[in-house]
Amino acid sequence: MNSCPRCQSEQSACRVEHEGRDAQGELVWTVYYCTACSFTWRDSEPEESIVYAKRDAFSRVDLNKQYPVVMPPPNRD
Amino acid sequence: MGTNQTAAIKDVSLSDNALKVAQRIGSLRDFLDFLAEHGQCITWPEAVLPEPDIRDIAVAAGRDAMNGPALLFDDIKGYPGKRLALGVHGSFTNLALLLGHPKGTTIKELFYDIISRWGSDKPLLERVPMDQAPIHENRIDSNFNLYDLLPLYRINEYDGGFYIGKANVVSRDPHDPDNFGKQNVGIYRIQPQGKDIFTLLSVPAHDMGRMIIAAEKDDKPLKIAVMLGNHPAMAMFAATPIGYDESEFAYASQMMGSPLRLTDSGNGMDILADSEIVIEAELIHGSRQYEGPFGEFPGSYSGVRMAPQFKVTGISHRDNPIFENIYIGKGWTEHDTLIGLNTSAPIYAKLKEDFPEVEAVNALYQHGLTGIISVKNRFSGFAKSVAMRALGTPHGLMYLKNLIMVDDDVDPFDLNQVMWALSTRTRADDIIVVPNMPMIIIDPAAEVPGKGHRLIIDATSFMPPDKVGADAQIVSPPGGPKIDALAKVIQALQQEQQGGQS
Ligand SMILES: [Zn+2]
Repeated sequence: MNSCPRCQSEQSACRVEHEGRDAQGELVWTVYYCTACSFTWRDSEPEESIVYAKRDAFSRVDLNKQYPVVMPPPNRD
Repeated sequence: MGTNQTAAIKDVSLSDNALKVAQRIGSLRDFLDFLAEHGQCITWPEAVLPEPDIRDIAVAAGRDAMNGPALLFDDIKGYPGKRLALGVHGSFTNLALLLGHPKGTTIKELFYDIISRWGSDKPLLERVPMDQAPIHENRIDSNFNLYDLLPLYRINEYDGGFYIGKANVVSRDPHDPDNFGKQNVGIYRIQPQGKDIFTLLSVPAHDMGRMIIAAEKDDKPLKIAVMLGNHPAMAMFAATPIGYDESEFAYASQMMGSPLRLTDSGNGMDILADSEIVIEAELIHGSRQYEGPFGEFPGSYSGVRMAPQFKVTGISHRDNPIFENIYIGKGWTEHDTLIGLNTSAPIYAKLKEDFPEVEAVNALYQHGLTGIISVKNRFSGFAKSVAMRALGTPHGLMYLKNLIMVDDDVDPFDLNQVMWALSTRTRADDIIVVPNMPMIIIDPAAEVPGKGHRLIIDATSFMPPDKVGADAQIVSPPGGPKIDALAKVIQALQQEQQGGQS
């Protein structure tokens, strides 16, 4: 895992959330979370979900783009 | 159970068998056992990977909308000892069993059953102290990790995360937190965003949306309890549109005819004492985070939005809990079965107030984006007026996009009959397009999000002063209860033969 499969943020933005182990304690998979785009993934998933180049273009997130805000919070400034 | 309770149950006027089932099922576990006894819940026999195995199996099971079974997974790689249930409301037979009917019950029979349950105003709620409630058998107050607690997985391949799609979320009006009547229970999609944070998607028009806006505007705390693995009546009935001041717990218990046991959550909400898991959380004021995409019920992904976040404050769960989730995506899915009849019934009730000629409403398709209404035709064009009224019902306002009107001799739940009506009774100029109407924002057929066109197809019979083509006299095959009963006899004989062969 070198970067986020959805927004390509660097490894430093990707956090390990959980390691799935079998009953004997052997590591089976790891769940990651991207702190830049909120994507969650498991390293055992099919490549269509977790490899940036194989993900359909619509499913990528561009961090420079403004996404719609659900119920914008009140401005307290 | 006390005598008062039994008397109250009788007021719902359910059949003996419906009452028997209602009294037996007090939780998700009870229902899964009951389904298994009827061959309607299978435990998956092999180890599965969270992705793609779980969604593959869920999609395959969902293909049989009439008779598909619920699925229980108890061997998920990387989640030893964890259990996941899917498809609990995934077929009409599962719904039939829940409502006390035998296998082989038709969708139309279920529709009339739900209608017949309305009118009871006797909630059957019991109170259980926290220390006796199964939901509190295990308590977690710190070091939360949702990815560890729940066997989470990606429902559709491009979902933004591992969604919780079948939670009943309890919340109270932030301005009136002690008012039980202003407690809301709704189903909202939840995306875990880290070990103890999740987004919850609502819109301003929903109860939760109103509460989030109110809490942030006046700087009041908004606490919620996310119930997972609930009594099957909750998912079935709590999503039905009802007035703001009515309790969904009361409504679900009335409709089901069985008492629901309530207890307190750790953060002061009323929760079901027999649910599997409850996640208590609090709104993080002013915080919005990337949410989505998520494969939604129209069969398309709803895009990325910035949605409100909640922080987990406590978790309770039963011993060896079952995480219940749902497959949503391109139909047919459990979501369609789960909400279809409860989408249809309120439209029927509203229409019936003005038009007693309305016979039945089938709004099973994608939450009513397409509806089929059967109506006794009074005169030429009559069905079109009924259709226009349907567009003004509370659900019709946003959802009923395509309406097919058929006569009362056509069962709107039998698509072969509907196609007969379309084939023989529709003229190409006998349709209405109503342009630029309100539309749900996630409908991919919208002109712009939230606005699009509606279609009414009149497939009812020709009535004076219509001109009629040649050879228009309709054959009147035998129908009614006698033929319905014969169809069931034939089905039973077939099953008997099948049983003999296996
Ligand atoms: Zn990312």
